[in-house]
Amino acid sequence: MMEDQEEKGNAENGIGRQKQVKDEYLLQFLDSLDGYLTLLDSLSSTLSQGWLELASARHAMGASRINGALLDLKVHAAATSLKVSEQDVDSMESQPCFTLCKWASSDNGERSSGEEKSLSPQLRHRNNSQLSEEKVSTRTGTPLILVDQQRQKSLSVFGVLVSPKLRSAQLSFERALETLVEIANLHTTMLSMFEQVHKELENTNG
Amino acid sequence: MYGFEAMTFNIHGGYLEAIVRGYRAGLLTAADYNNLCQCETLDDIKMHLSATEYGPYLQNEPSPLHTTTIVEKCTLKLVDEYKHMLCQATEPLSTFLEYITYGHMIDNVVLIVTGTLHERDVQELLEKCHPLGMFDSIATLAVAQNMRELYRLVLVDTPLAPYFSECITSEDLDDMNIEIMRNTLYKAYLEDFYKFCQKLGGATAEIMSDLLAFEADRRAVNITINSIGTELTRDDRRKLYSNFGLLYPYGHEELAVCEDIDQVRGVMEKYPPYQSIFSKLSYGESQMLDKAFYEEEVKRLCLAFEQQFHYGVFFAYMRLREQEIRNLMWISECVAQNQKSRVHDSVVFIF
Repeated sequence: MMEDQEEKGNAENGIGRQKQVKDEYLLQFLDSLDGYLTLLDSLSSTLSQGWLELASARHAMGASRINGALLDLKVHAAATSLKVSEQDVDSMESQPCFTLCKWASSDNGERSSGEEKSLSPQLRHRNNSQLSEEKVSTRTGTPLILVDQQRQKSLSVFGVLVSPKLRSAQLSFERALETLVEIANLHTTMLSMFEQVHKELENTNG
Repeated sequence: MYGFEAMTFNIHGGYLEAIVRGYRAGLLTAADYNNLCQCETLDDIKMHLSATEYGPYLQNEPSPLHTTTIVEKCTLKLVDEYKHMLCQATEPLSTFLEYITYGHMIDNVVLIVTGTLHERDVQELLEKCHPLGMFDSIATLAVAQNMRELYRLVLVDTPLAPYFSECITSEDLDDMNIEIMRNTLYKAYLEDFYKFCQKLGGATAEIMSDLLAFEADRRAVNITINSIGTELTRDDRRKLYSNFGLLYPYGHEELAVCEDIDQVRGVMEKYPPYQSIFSKLSYGESQMLDKAFYEEEVKRLCLAFEQQFHYGVFFAYMRLREQEIRNLMWISECVAQNQKSRVHDSVVFIF
């Protein structure tokens, strides 16, 4: 009798733990879905802001100074690149992880200045003020003055003396790029969580 | 009191002054802008503009429209009106009218040179040039490697030749040199235009001096703000300011050492005409500065029409039309991007 009761207790504990694990996967999936939708909304508003700032810069500087015909067609290194790596999750499966390498000059095959970001939820908050950015150093320790130089270099296709509105547009599109990479990472996490939830449901039904 | 322009101006300038005043009456009014700001699509804008003098220029454009198409066609109207006036004008009005286009010529030269440096096709660059700034040998600019060649091969036969004396070097053209060339040419052009108007004397000299001085001062402020945080040294910045205007010379000395927008505000607020402009801005803000300057410019340009028998009305009309085209560009962009709430950020009403 006592043994039966003990077995029954163990079985109930096992079922409870299984339910906890399922709830946890479900919550993680819903969290990642919520984060994904929030980021999509944020991307949309950042891009709208960027396009309007670009139009505002064109209005201030003139159409002859800001147009597609001035973009540089010479072969040159990409100012920003995307690194894709495999990340182990719970030692069971690997999922792709996207990392943005911003303002990395790959002249001579080496990175001379750059700002490597792994876009996790701890991403530092950026604001529009370049002045405040100059006072904060990057996580990798790359001086922000080099980053600002790279930013100016990429804007120099439109001239050296450009309106602050064009610089704001550049920052907006930079933020949009970061958000895109965050979305990609969150999308991968979301799909992985969905797989987990699906497996648990199948196990339960099985 | 000016000279006796009332007695002699109409002999050569009367017809064209009447023409330009007629053109001025065709500028869009606040009611037109209110209708345009409520449009939902670019086709709606085209429909509203069809009832204005821009109608014939836009009527054959197929849908879907693009904002650059609207700006291009509206600019064509300005070019047609300018050419009509130029072909009817006698000296010295014809020279005065030509001076108005030299700014566009400088922009076109810089566009071609920059585009060539970036290995762009010359035909593509020519399509982006402003029609008022075109000249015969403009396509040949693409072969020049440095400023000396630029001058020797092409610009020596253009009206910009006298402005090149201060920037001829054998250095290869790069982004910084091109920017310095642009601003040095524009500085020389403004100073030359100013001297020409002074020589004309009378009401033309009085009114144009005020308008060109405002232009020089605005340029100085824009150069200062745009060069904050760049590699341009204080000395180089100082060299780009024009040698006339309300800010010359003490204001320029102070602007040359400014490191942020608040320091620029501190300098400009010492000058009463610019106090009202900067009082509209909050501290640290520079976004609305362009609109504030455009509003002040439009006010001064409209005042030029209050007096007769001078050439300032031609300059004022051209500038007012350009402002109108900028307004239409901004309204079109806001409509196309579904940002109608921001449309009043940059529209400057003329009447």
